[in-house]
Amino acid sequence: MRRLKMQRSKTSRILRTMILGAAAIPSLVLANGALRPRSVTAAQEKPAAITVTIDNFSFAPMQLEIKAGTEVTWINKDDVPHTVVSDDHKLFKSRALDTDEKFSFTFKDPGTYEYFCSVHPKMTGKIVVK
Amino acid sequence: MHPFSIREALLAKHAQHVVLIHFPIALFLTGVGFDFAAYWTKRSALATAAYYNFIVAAISTVPVIATGLLAWQFELEGQKLKGILLQHLVLGLVSSAMICLVWFVHFRSRRAPEQKLPPSCLAMELVAVALVAITGHLGGYLSGVNIPS
Repeated sequence: MRRLKMQRSKTSRILRTMILGAAAIPSLVLANGALRPRSVTAAQEKPAAITVTIDNFSFAPMQLEIKAGTEVTWINKDDVPHTVVSDDHKLFKSRALDTDEKFSFTFKDPGTYEYFCSVHPKMTGKIVVK
Repeated sequence: MHPFSIREALLAKHAQHVVLIHFPIALFLTGVGFDFAAYWTKRSALATAAYYNFIVAAISTVPVIATGLLAWQFELEGQKLKGILLQHLVLGLVSSAMICLVWFVHFRSRRAPEQKLPPSCLAMELVAVALVAITGHLGGYLSGVNIPS
């Protein structure tokens, strides 16, 4: 009789553990789900890198609106060399970029930045940093 | 903007090199045309016209080379050139040297007592025309005049 009681209590302990374990799984999944959106938000807060394509003697897009701290990368897809130079010739100035060569600059401060290609001054672009 | 404002023309945003380059090309090609015409017609007036075209073409290569080199130094900060830019630079210098050489051969032959051009001169002029044409083509390609609208 005593042995039977002991066996019953052991079985109920195992059952309790199993139930608790089963209950813990969804809560862990939920907790994980709750954490995930937070990490996505963090990724969204960090300004994304943006690419400007140089093709057919023009910058595309010609005008950009970005957040402060965004890195802009220009890639030359023309067969002809181009440069990326800020209007004041000081803030940023790339080398002559051959086909598929890149140049990057991070815009830290808000403002309007106009730039052009010094080889082809008619090629112009504008970046608005907010 | 006024089309006849000298100040605006000199301070134009475009490179002066692409404007000045047309002078030696046009003068040299015209000179070669006159020289071939003088050879076939045996008219000395045409040979004289060719000679003066060659003089002015040779002189006008100086500002063209100067503005090209200045554009390289100022706009590209004298960076090591490669590709089309390097080909254009080398061919431009060789073309200019050929234009000056053609003028010099004419200058020497006009000073000689018999005033006769060496037979190789016309062949040399044709080679110079080919070099000028290739240089001009690369220059036009670089400047973007060939882009589809």
